[in-house]
Amino acid sequence: MIEHGPLLERLLEGEFICTVTDEHSFHKLQSESLVEDLNHFLRPLNRRVAKNDDGSVYFLAYCELNQDARQQLSQQFTNTVQSLLPMLEWMQLVQEALGRDGALTAGDTIKLQDFESKVVDNQSLLQRLAHLASDKHFRSTSEKPDMQIKQVFKCIKELGYLYQPHKDRLFYIVTGKIEQLIELVRFIKDEENLPIDDVPEQEAMF
Amino acid sequence: MSQSPPKIKSSAKSNPLFDLGKERLELIGKHAEALMAGYVEGQVSESAFSQQALQKLIDGRVLFYPDEQQSLSLRPIVNELIASLTQDERKRQINSDVGEHLDQIQTRVQSLQAARQKGDYAASEHHMQLLTERVHDMTGQFGDAIESLWHRLNTEFGFVSSLDDKILEIELAQRQLRRILDGFGIINFDDLIQLAGSDGGLRKLLVSQLQARISEHSGSLLEVQKRLVLLMARFRQQQDRALLINRMSAFLRQHPNFQVGDYPNRSQVPAVVNQAHGIKAHAFVALDRAQDSYALAELARAVPREQEADTNSAQQTQGFDIAEQSMVATQQKQLAKDVEDFFIQVIDSDQPISGVEYLAENELTWDPEIWLFQIVAEYEGLPQQSKHSFLLEKESAAKSPFNQLHIIQDVKLGMRFFGGFQEVG
Repeated sequence: MIEHGPLLERLLEGEFICTVTDEHSFHKLQSESLVEDLNHFLRPLNRRVAKNDDGSVYFLAYCELNQDARQQLSQQFTNTVQSLLPMLEWMQLVQEALGRDGALTAGDTIKLQDFESKVVDNQSLLQRLAHLASDKHFRSTSEKPDMQIKQVFKCIKELGYLYQPHKDRLFYIVTGKIEQLIELVRFIKDEENLPIDDVPEQEAMF
Repeated sequence: MSQSPPKIKSSAKSNPLFDLGKERLELIGKHAEALMAGYVEGQVSESAFSQQALQKLIDGRVLFYPDEQQSLSLRPIVNELIASLTQDERKRQINSDVGEHLDQIQTRVQSLQAARQKGDYAASEHHMQLLTERVHDMTGQFGDAIESLWHRLNTEFGFVSSLDDKILEIELAQRQLRRILDGFGIINFDDLIQLAGSDGGLRKLLVSQLQARISEHSGSLLEVQKRLVLLMARFRQQQDRALLINRMSAFLRQHPNFQVGDYPNRSQVPAVVNQAHGIKAHAFVALDRAQDSYALAELARAVPREQEADTNSAQQTQGFDIAEQSMVATQQKQLAKDVEDFFIQVIDSDQPISGVEYLAENELTWDPEIWLFQIVAEYEGLPQQSKHSFLLEKESAAKSPFNQLHIIQDVKLGMRFFGGFQEVG
């Protein structure tokens, strides 16, 4: 167990482990017997190792959903839901600015310089960036696009959706946590029966 | 290895086709630039050539007019040649027609056997050469097709940009692949064995070599097929995801008051919201274990120290700072406490009390301005509910008739019952 200390600590701190953030630990966590050992250790802390649907990211979940755990979950869930629209808008903005087809996926790299030069060239992207940056989740007070971009990316990095391999270099890699967010979006859509599958025509009108 | 290119067999040179073919290949080379421009743009500009050169290219079957109205173009076969040489998957064609090849092979074998029966050695050798070429053409054609499929797969269909186009391209590749596999199905080795008869050379060419190549190609094709399916699944997933994000954000924008279910408090909490919050495990220096003392002492020694020379003055300034700061803090506390007492007095009293009068009565030493400011601040800082119980009235007078400045001279604080001062009620 001793050699898994650092991994345990990172998990306990609420980190999501994926191939982007820590490939070595990610592969270790694929061993069922290790997960069992970790779970045994985590049991008194009311935690267990969990993974998302497609197994691309590991994190800790509560074992028993007691009052305390539910309260924490409520708070966290509220935060996530409140930041959902800005997150989705950010994903759209990056996708469009970088001219990508598919949505952002874990492992995609984003160079801030590329992103900035694309945004600055396009008035509508600039406006969307300004709107996004002034959102209460990103709280940018700057009028300059480069500062707005830095602030937005910094916040998203703090939320765990981006990984910055070098502190002083402005390029980011999308982490596996984003998969968890997408799963949540899909879950909400199904659970609330949101009529967003059936009405593409309506959307096209807007 | 000699430096000069290998000498071409004189028999090949004597063939009348040789000079013509060489001339035409050179013709293509000579106009490579203009022809490539035509390839890229889809039509050839007549002005790029002299009248004479244009005529030569048309006669040489390199260029043609598809019909009278249409502009000058590359012949399809030239287009195909360039596409194949440059691995240009946009225009590369896959030719999976097998029937034609098999027909030709059959005819060649018959001619060959007829020539052998006649004992015409030269003719039979000629037919054998054509037959070998034909077989290689057929397997080469499969090889090219498979290579093209691999190439597209390995570049993830990068020659088209949009995801929709990529999905269409994969569908196309899957159809091509199926046609090649169908082509393999047409090759009947029993027939070929019969055709080769007892001739060892023919058997080798038509049966063992061909079979080896075809099975090699089949293996490769199965792998391509598998990878195409995987890639398709990935592209579809990406497409699906982009759609989900776009529609969800559109929905949220249109319904700003949309309420999500209270998943964390359901009896069955969905796994997707079950994420434990982070815990930080802190640890501190502990001196209760003798064996640690050495290591801790080392650490203590390693703590960077300030320069000796500066310590005195630094300490002095710091000491002064702290003293002044703490004095201000004590005063602040006392002021807050006195104001609190004033509020308590108001609660006890059945009349509103004037701040200035209270100050004088209790012989407090606060500057009246600061005193009033603190009362107003305390009042404004009350929780909404408590604030409602009090009523604060400011007595102010205009500083001068020339501006809007009013100076608060006193405040009256009383309990509020039924919306007015107690006395009014």
